[in-house]
Amino acid sequence: MSNEAILHGSSAAVHEVHGDHHHEHHHHETFISKYVFSQDHKMIAKQFLITGMVWAVLGGLMSVLFRLQLGYPDAHFTWLENILGKFWVKDGRITPEAYYALVTTHGTVLVFFVLTAGLSGTFANFLIPLQVGARDMASPFMNMLSYWFFFGASVVMLSSMFVETGPFSGGWTAYPPLSALGSASPGSKTGMDLWIIAMALFVVSSLLGGLNYIATVLNMRTKGMSMTRLPLTIWALFFTAVLGVLSFPVLLSGFILLIFDRNFGTSFYLSDIFVNGVGALPNEGGSAILFQHLFWFLGHPEVYIILLPAMGMVSEILSVNSRKPIFGYMAMIGSLFAIAILAFLVWAHHMFVTGLNPFLGSIFVLLTLLIAVPSAIKVFNWLTTLWRGNIRFTPGMMFAIGFVSLFISGGLTGIWLGNSALDIHLHDTYFVIAHFHIVMGVASMFGMFAGIYHWYPKMYGRHLNNTLGYIHFWITIAGAYLIFWPMHYEGLAGMPRRYYDYSIWESFKQFGDLNRFISTVAMIVFATQLLFLFNFFYSIFKGRKVTAKNPYNSNTLEWTTPIRPGHGNWPGEIPEVYRWAYDYGKDGREFIPQTEPVGADESHH
Amino acid sequence: MEHTAHIEHHAEDGKKEVMRVTLILTVLTLVELALGFWMMKIEAQGTRLMIKGVIVILMMAKAFYIVGYFMHLKHEIRNMIMTIVVPLLLFVWFIGAFLYDGNSFKNLRMTYDSHKKEMSTKKVEKKEEVKETPEVKKAVE
Amino acid sequence: MSTSTTAPVTTKWWSGGKSPFNVEYGKLMMWYFLMSDAFTFGAFLIAYGTTRFATAGWPNPNEVFKSYPFAGENANAPLVFVSIMTFILIISSVTMVLAVKAGQEMNKKAVVNNLILTIIGGLAFLSCQAWEWTHLFHEGAWWGRNPFINADGTQSTTNFTNFFFTITGFHGFHVFSGVIINIVMLIMTLMDKFEQRGHYLMIEKAGLYWHFVDLVWVFVFTCFYLI
Ligand code: HEM
Ligand SMILES: [Cu+2]
Repeated sequence: MSNEAILHGSSAAVHEVHGDHHHEHHHHETFISKYVFSQDHKMIAKQFLITGMVWAVLGGLMSVLFRLQLGYPDAHFTWLENILGKFWVKDGRITPEAYYALVTTHGTVLVFFVLTAGLSGTFANFLIPLQVGARDMASPFMNMLSYWFFFGASVVMLSSMFVETGPFSGGWTAYPPLSALGSASPGSKTGMDLWIIAMALFVVSSLLGGLNYIATVLNMRTKGMSMTRLPLTIWALFFTAVLGVLSFPVLLSGFILLIFDRNFGTSFYLSDIFVNGVGALPNEGGSAILFQHLFWFLGHPEVYIILLPAMGMVSEILSVNSRKPIFGYMAMIGSLFAIAILAFLVWAHHMFVTGLNPFLGSIFVLLTLLIAVPSAIKVFNWLTTLWRGNIRFTPGMMFAIGFVSLFISGGLTGIWLGNSALDIHLHDTYFVIAHFHIVMGVASMFGMFAGIYHWYPKMYGRHLNNTLGYIHFWITIAGAYLIFWPMHYEGLAGMPRRYYDYSIWESFKQFGDLNRFISTVAMIVFATQLLFLFNFFYSIFKGRKVTAKNPYNSNTLEWTTPIRPGHGNWPGEIPEVYRWAYDYGKDGREFIPQTEPVGADESHH
Repeated sequence: MEHTAHIEHHAEDGKKEVMRVTLILTVLTLVELALGFWMMKIEAQGTRLMIKGVIVILMMAKAFYIVGYFMHLKHEIRNMIMTIVVPLLLFVWFIGAFLYDGNSFKNLRMTYDSHKKEMSTKKVEKKEEVKETPEVKKAVE
Repeated sequence: MSTSTTAPVTTKWWSGGKSPFNVEYGKLMMWYFLMSDAFTFGAFLIAYGTTRFATAGWPNPNEVFKSYPFAGENANAPLVFVSIMTFILIISSVTMVLAVKAGQEMNKKAVVNNLILTIIGGLAFLSCQAWEWTHLFHEGAWWGRNPFINADGTQSTTNFTNFFFTITGFHGFHVFSGVIINIVMLIMTLMDKFEQRGHYLMIEKAGLYWHFVDLVWVFVFTCFYLI
């Protein structure tokens, strides 16, 4: 049997269909098959993106609400009561239950639904087939299922906002006993049931997607597209998928045990518990630390699942817009690989002070600090790519540069936290909040914005408005630093995270003004995101039309497709590839697309 | 489709291999069982631990034969084998860290939790009584 | 695919336009799915191990699993019934290999026969498990209930039964879905679906799944019954 036939998993007959696949699909496309149950990776990408954006708005709104409480603990916003109802607001103040529910849901939604599904769901789907030169994902059908499982997860999560006892309120990490005992808090009842169901659906979605991405990158590359000719976006998305496929199942196992603890009287995570109003519980022999291990075995890789796609896109965008080859291509792949491996080895640095054995902790310190090495390599390479480049400051490029800045600022504080001795002081303070919001939250958001601004012309055949883009960028970057930088000081002063009202603590009263300032900036930044949303949706219909196939003079394959590619991406044959993706400014030529054969007298890079 | 010619040739070899592996798996299982029976008679903790170690090694051997031959991995291209075997190495640290910390947690409990310590030395009545579940429940509570 | 021998040595596997591993994407996905499932089971078993390491005493499996069907109250035959279960699963794995091999030879009749044998093996295993669960249940064991005492005579926690039922239950669920998959494969074979396609690749993927289920049992068997 020929390799081609094996590649496509079917007889030679099917192989031919693959050749002009594209024509096949144009005949009978209904609204449902084109926009709803679409199997076109580009449409699925947009579905992920728009669902992710809806969640980003909801999650952002939640943060505005709890920032309202933190910034104005004494104020009474009676009008909120009419909008949100009694569970959420009483006497013009966010209730404590609601406050914790908001913080929890904000965290869960942004980490999983926005920055995992919305980010790698969007760009892995959109870019992998286009940049490796494939008609679609390996299995378009599973790809579609992946979206719909995510959609199901979204519906369940959203419905948890409307149950009588409120959504889950024990933090996005769902530590037992709060997550395991319905009697522990209002949010631990139905809200938690729905939370677990939503997360289980989410795990299924991410597995279906991840397997597809891996198989596509390995098997479906076009002729000539060897692994070392892949754009770094693809490498990053590939490692992201690997991380997800190997770590999400562990979370699922942890959740299954949690479900048993909740509903079937087991004691996997429970021992020696007394609940106010209920009394002593019979559970014996379990350990909450076990859950923490299982959770963070996913949880730490998860932060890189969020970050790697952003890194990949930033690498690509920086190179294209500096008109220079990416500096240290192989080192970039190597450091992605190192990060992916280390991501699995360091999970317990989140548990230094929760009962982890201190000697074991010291090994985790060592492994954790090793991450600084590949991270530094990447930063160095980005900066040297920019160095003396012929930089085009497009909005996408601005966000990419912003990403580098944020990654440096947030990565440095990671090194503080990675030392278990320092972490005794810093754990569970605002220092941690500042660390991970800058390095993961905002940085990955910037990667996502960079990706959207950069590939929008490919997605919708129109340009976003640049002026709005620049306004969006400057307010967001200034705002992000103004919000999170002061939190380092609060954390160093010992201000704990997850408290409802700091004004009643003598030691934290001093931060009243600062908290109000942070809350104000947060609201401004949130409003600015609405500007972006307007730009996004307005431009879909009214944006300036793209007139050139390759508006950025870019090397990669997605720009060889028609301006608005149909299902199957290339109308004719899939182009063949002869070189890597980064021949910018070579031999006096501004750029040389990957599809151009290597000339006889071309220099080596 | 040149491989139809090969198939006749391979088929016999293939069947032989399957039988050989089946035999190996059977023998390994029997050895495991024998060790299991032997262990029932042994009190010394050190020896028991050693036998358990041997059983774990035999278990890995069985896994190797199932994955390598039944799942055909040994006959795949080397690089593919690597993509499967290398990630499995993560289990080393996964298992090591978890078990080490579990053990440490026991020591903490036995040192600082006097109730647990007492429970770990107090014998309960023989099985006949314990069989009735309500009583067990009460005992636990 | 035994094509590794047919491929010329000079092939550039990684240069694009073909599978670097010479396997179709479906099989690749099945392999990586099984990897992820290995992490699911791994996490369960490691959680079990961690809890055992964190607990002072543990029941002796030979005291617990010592009965077999129709044995009456005082049966004392540890390891016997479970070794039967183990062999059933190994044999069903063998018939599955034979089904896959028959598929590669396009021998429909042999595929059908071996699939039927595999399905019977799977059902037999599930029946054994059902019997064992029922038996334990009647002895008072269930999630959250543990009638057995520790080997050293001290009071046991419920985590022994908690983990036993959860993990064997999860494995049994896999066996069950494997049986369903195999039944679907059987029906498709009988409907000549694979003859029409010209290959039985789908059965190879079902086979991978089935062997994986067998593989997991190797670990479950060792962890719960032997050590
Ligand atoms: C040099 C690199 C890094 C080091 C050494 C490091 C270290 C740490 C440590 C030790 C903690 C635990 C702090 C505590 O709870 O007391 C932590 C928290 C966190 N880190 Fe990092 N980190 C690094 C980079 C990153 C990156 C790149 C991301 C995300 C993309 C990230 C995301 C997070 C998150 C989300 C948390 C907090 C989770 C929570 O408790 O809710 N970190 N980091
Ligand atoms: Cu971490």
